Amino acid sequence: MNEILVCLEGSPSTERAAGVAIELARTLPATLVGLAIVDEPDIVAGSPTSIGGASFRKDRNAALLDDAHRRARGWLDDFVARGRAAGVAVRALEITGSAAEMILAEVPRHDLTVLGRDVNFRFETQDHDRHTRDRILRRAGKPIILVPEQLAAAGPAVMIAYDGSPAATRALQSFAACGLARRGDVHVATVDDDGANAFETATRGCELLAQLGIRAVPENVVSSEPTAAALLSRRARIGAGLIVLGGYIPSALSRLVWGSVTHEVVERATVPVFLHY
Amino acid sequence: MNDQSPWSVLAIAPLLGYLLVIAALPLVFARFWDHNRNKLIVALAAAVPVAIYLLARSPDGADRLIETAREYAAFMALLGALFAITAGVYLRGDLPGTPAVNTALLAVGTVLASVIGTTGASALLIRPVLRANAHRRYRRHVVVFFIFLVSNGGGLLTPLGDPPLFLGFLRGVPFTWTLHLVAPWAMVSTALLAVFAVVDRAISRRDPPPPPRIREPLRIEGAWNLVWLIGIVATVVAIGSYGRGWSAAPLVQIGAMVGFAALSIATTPRRIHEANRFSWAPILEVAAVFLGIFVTMVPALAFLHDRGASLGITRPWELFWLSGALSSVLDNAPTYLTFASLATGVVNASGGQLSVHDLGALAAHPTGRELLAAVSCGSVFMGAMTYIGNGPNFMVKAIAEQHHVRMPSFFGYTLWSLGILAPVLAAVALVVFR
Repeated sequence: MNEILVCLEGSPSTERAAGVAIELARTLPATLVGLAIVDEPDIVAGSPTSIGGASFRKDRNAALLDDAHRRARGWLDDFVARGRAAGVAVRALEITGSAAEMILAEVPRHDLTVLGRDVNFRFETQDHDRHTRDRILRRAGKPIILVPEQLAAAGPAVMIAYDGSPAATRALQSFAACGLARRGDVHVATVDDDGANAFETATRGCELLAQLGIRAVPENVVSSEPTAAALLSRRARIGAGLIVLGGYIPSALSRLVWGSVTHEVVERATVPVFLHY
Repeated sequence: MNDQSPWSVLAIAPLLGYLLVIAALPLVFARFWDHNRNKLIVALAAAVPVAIYLLARSPDGADRLIETAREYAAFMALLGALFAITAGVYLRGDLPGTPAVNTALLAVGTVLASVIGTTGASALLIRPVLRANAHRRYRRHVVVFFIFLVSNGGGLLTPLGDPPLFLGFLRGVPFTWTLHLVAPWAMVSTALLAVFAVVDRAISRRDPPPPPRIREPLRIEGAWNLVWLIGIVATVVAIGSYGRGWSAAPLVQIGAMVGFAALSIATTPRRIHEANRFSWAPILEVAAVFLGIFVTMVPALAFLHDRGASLGITRPWELFWLSGALSSVLDNAPTYLTFASLATGVVNASGGQLSVHDLGALAAHPTGRELLAAVSCGSVFMGAMTYIGNGPNFMVKAIAEQHHVRMPSFFGYTLWSLGILAPVLAAVALVVFR
């Protein structure tokens, strides 16, 4: 692996993500690229304005832009210092533009992207911004690791959630190509009401990994719990420190109607989640 | 109703169209709208065809335009003078952002709004309020109530309080007439302050304790500007009481406003203007936009004067809610004049002989007084329903955001006002405007 992109925006989960990325860069090894975005289009977006308000809006926009640049420079300086202290090659990148578009433009130029799970790239204007993160996950086309703020104690093992779908296969192959399998034991887990079917599918995943030179253990998961909860329970039993998942987070409406295993796993996981869609 | 009136309902179209354009442009073409020159171009694009039409087709078009120009100049002179003078006063020092202090600050601002105008009171107090609450995690409710009380409702008691009322004053409403609105003013202010005190106390329990620090004592810098302010009030009262009908009165009034503003600028140290981030840009913006409003209003007001009664809006509560609803989404100053003209039409339909140029007669008429009170209250109170209802609303929002208060979105703020302000106004309307 050559480069790991780390998107910085000062939230606690991004702080954690930076730590995970530094650790990954040290073990793989890889160069870290810290990216801070000043989402100018969001800050200066048009809004209904009362008569006489446009002048105040200009002042407000200028003040928020200055603040965003100052904060971005601070995060990048801290990140570079942390990386260098850990003995990792690191460089910084500050970009002004729409956060989702800028990150999506950068993602293909790097082998892996690390994001905090609760990132808020619209930190100047909003308390939360799941929209940007989910948009990146839907359109990235390259692997992304999402890191939660609170990390459970876990070993170096990896659990790949595999249901035989093209997305799961892509995630599995992408994980193998990243070199992350060297971290520890690899488990391929399949959830199904029928244990034999689950074992067969998981074994197929292991065979795919074997073709890529990685040994893995099949895990058939039969549970009365929903799929996401069953996967997370198995992760805890294995003690895996990384979950690999092939999927994306659908829109809120779609999640309401159809549900989303990926969304549930991402939101509830207490270890980093490797996603590729 | 005047069946011979040359005006059709189309006369409202230029004003309505212009108000919709100035509401939409900041949303759709924000960068374009940032420049005052572009606002002037848009205003002229709306005003010039209307002016040409009036000159060419209306027998008294030239007179109407001259009268409008006088009104516009007086209106801008007052707004500009109040803006300049209040920018010369700076409240330095710290207050603790406790629920009691916050409630007291909002109460003071509510009263002050009727003396120095909602814009002046908002500009004077918003930064001290934000400084007092800087340590708090949850602050947006303080700013939202500030907009309800200081930037809007508080200004109901005098023509200096809110631009719609000054427009009414310019058209003949006596200076002290708005003091008759003290009952709804007190009811709304008291209810909102009580709700705020309860909400702020509940929210403050979730805040971290304030960090220990040495507080700078509160003091007013530029207090001599209050002398110029008294000069403004005295001029307005004197002209309103003794100068009606005196042909030089408008010029004297405008001259006095310009003079007091110049005195304020000359006597205020630069550091106070810098602390208040004073610039003429907002007032130039208001001047550009209101140029279009004043001219496009002429045919709309003429139509409402002649045919207002035919619209079927005749009762105070109807005028209260309709003027309020439109004030929520359009600026409340033109909305006030529009509905005051409609009220004139309603009175004339039942035998009155009132003119839209003399709202003093409307204020003195037994029925007209109730209608005008409803329009005044609707326009002033419901200017707070959205960020665009009244000039200071967005100013306060922008300053709060510069101080890292995450203000609600346009629709988020509207939910706050629908949830808190609207029920209070509904209760007051039931009591006062039945």
